Amino acid sequence: MSNAVVTGTGILRVRRQYSKSLKDLAAEAAFKALDESGLDSVDYVVVSSSLSYTEIGQLGLSGHISNYIGLTGVRSIAVEDGEASGLAAVEVATYLIKSGVADNVLVIGVDKLTEFTSGRVYEDLQKINDSELFLLHKIGHAGMAGLLMRMYMNRYNIPRDELSYWPALMHSYAKENPNAMLRFAIDPLAVKKSLSIADPITLLDSFPLGDGAAALVISNSEVSRGEGLAKIKACASSTGFTNPFSQDDPLKIGSLISAYQKLIEMTGLKISDIDVMEIHDSFTITAMMILESLGLSKEGEAAKDVANGKYSKDSRPAINLSGGLKARGHPIGATGVYMIAELSRQLGGVFEGVSLNNASKALAIQINGFGSSSRLVLLERR
Amino acid sequence: MTVEDLSVPAHWRRRLTYYRLVAGRCKKCGRLHYPPAPACPYCGSKDLELIEINNKGKLETYTIIYSAPGKSRGRAPIIVGVVNIEGLRIVSELTDIEPEELKTGIDVEPVLRRMDEDTNKGIIRYAIKFRPVLVPKSEERG
Ligand SMILES: [Zn+2]
Repeated sequence: MSNAVVTGTGILRVRRQYSKSLKDLAAEAAFKALDESGLDSVDYVVVSSSLSYTEIGQLGLSGHISNYIGLTGVRSIAVEDGEASGLAAVEVATYLIKSGVADNVLVIGVDKLTEFTSGRVYEDLQKINDSELFLLHKIGHAGMAGLLMRMYMNRYNIPRDELSYWPALMHSYAKENPNAMLRFAIDPLAVKKSLSIADPITLLDSFPLGDGAAALVISNSEVSRGEGLAKIKACASSTGFTNPFSQDDPLKIGSLISAYQKLIEMTGLKISDIDVMEIHDSFTITAMMILESLGLSKEGEAAKDVANGKYSKDSRPAINLSGGLKARGHPIGATGVYMIAELSRQLGGVFEGVSLNNASKALAIQINGFGSSSRLVLLERR
Repeated sequence: MTVEDLSVPAHWRRRLTYYRLVAGRCKKCGRLHYPPAPACPYCGSKDLELIEINNKGKLETYTIIYSAPGKSRGRAPIIVGVVNIEGLRIVSELTDIEPEELKTGIDVEPVLRRMDEDTNKGIIRYAIKFRPVLVPKSEERG
């Protein structure tokens, strides 16, 4: 079976982009990735966008974007899995290579969260939850996070300030990453004092609203002849409960545990083999739940571990050197594509921010909401 | 799509979810799920029955939403809780309680309350919310 290799990456800084349309952002990232891979065209375009329909009112996005960037006549498909869309697109692209359907696939992740007022965007983001259950009650993305965070603090008797070290760590990495949205350091004590969104969640516990696009060229290793940044070793995913409170333990992400188990069965992976990870820290509490669901921290100890420096850049695995969703930013459908572009650059030794020497294995993790699905992509240095 | 955009039939179809606490019970594994689904989310069995769980429960966790989505911004702060009724956790708005009175572990009971109004379609929406169970004065002292 063919190997899938990342041969090109294109990353735009996450920010407010009033002068550029969603298609302009997609084009800019795509051209960067194509330039880096040295290709003019590809066999297949896979587009990941979660909010494009409400943002620009566009259906059939993969065809419209392909035509806009001069790739008229190629095959294309759009992939949507809420917040986890980016890694879903990478999974589809990997299978297109491994099955021999395509030799070169362009993956484009793009979303534009600042096109409308934040109230409108929060309403769109609410649809990450089960809409049958939550639309009437106006329990948005942050509201669910607030319910989980209070449950976590009460159960394990964790003071608010202990949880504030995560956003501070993310900002310290984002400061060094030219493509991050929030490039400034924060004091952990500032988190509690920032605007309350869904108590106990504050603005600094939450990802910022920004526009972004990232792109990848994924190629068959036989065609790319030794070129490329990283090999896509395996993709694993799992569905879970649409409502985390339907699980016996709402603080464990069942779909992530299930996807991780599949990845271990597929590859024999040990978490201690991983040098660097990008995890889906939509909120501080999501990061804690991921660290504990993977067993990296014991139950109720993730916050303390972060505060004590267990997840610093010198430990293994190093986590979210990009600044994470928290500070690099989370342009919903684009985020997973950012993760793979950043980790591929880490493995290739060309990442622009805080970087590791000789990293050889990297893992990307995405979750929609709090676990309706979870996705993992394992990368290896070439 | 927002709730304001829900068609009249879509709203009508959701009446058991919104207006009555009707849950699904799996006859194979015995577990409850809400809202009712065509297959048990725990074991996959399709041998299910509907039961009404109109009982009081305990508040397990809560949040106070200040950045309410879309048109409900004017209603903020919105208090939302997770209520545990016989092991089934329901996520719902809380009412007749002020933020400073909130405490996990208190007893709450379901009550039908007005949510909002869609003047275009002429629908006034109601939904189940939960309110604190009043403790009789004598019990409070005892
Ligand atoms: Zn069952």
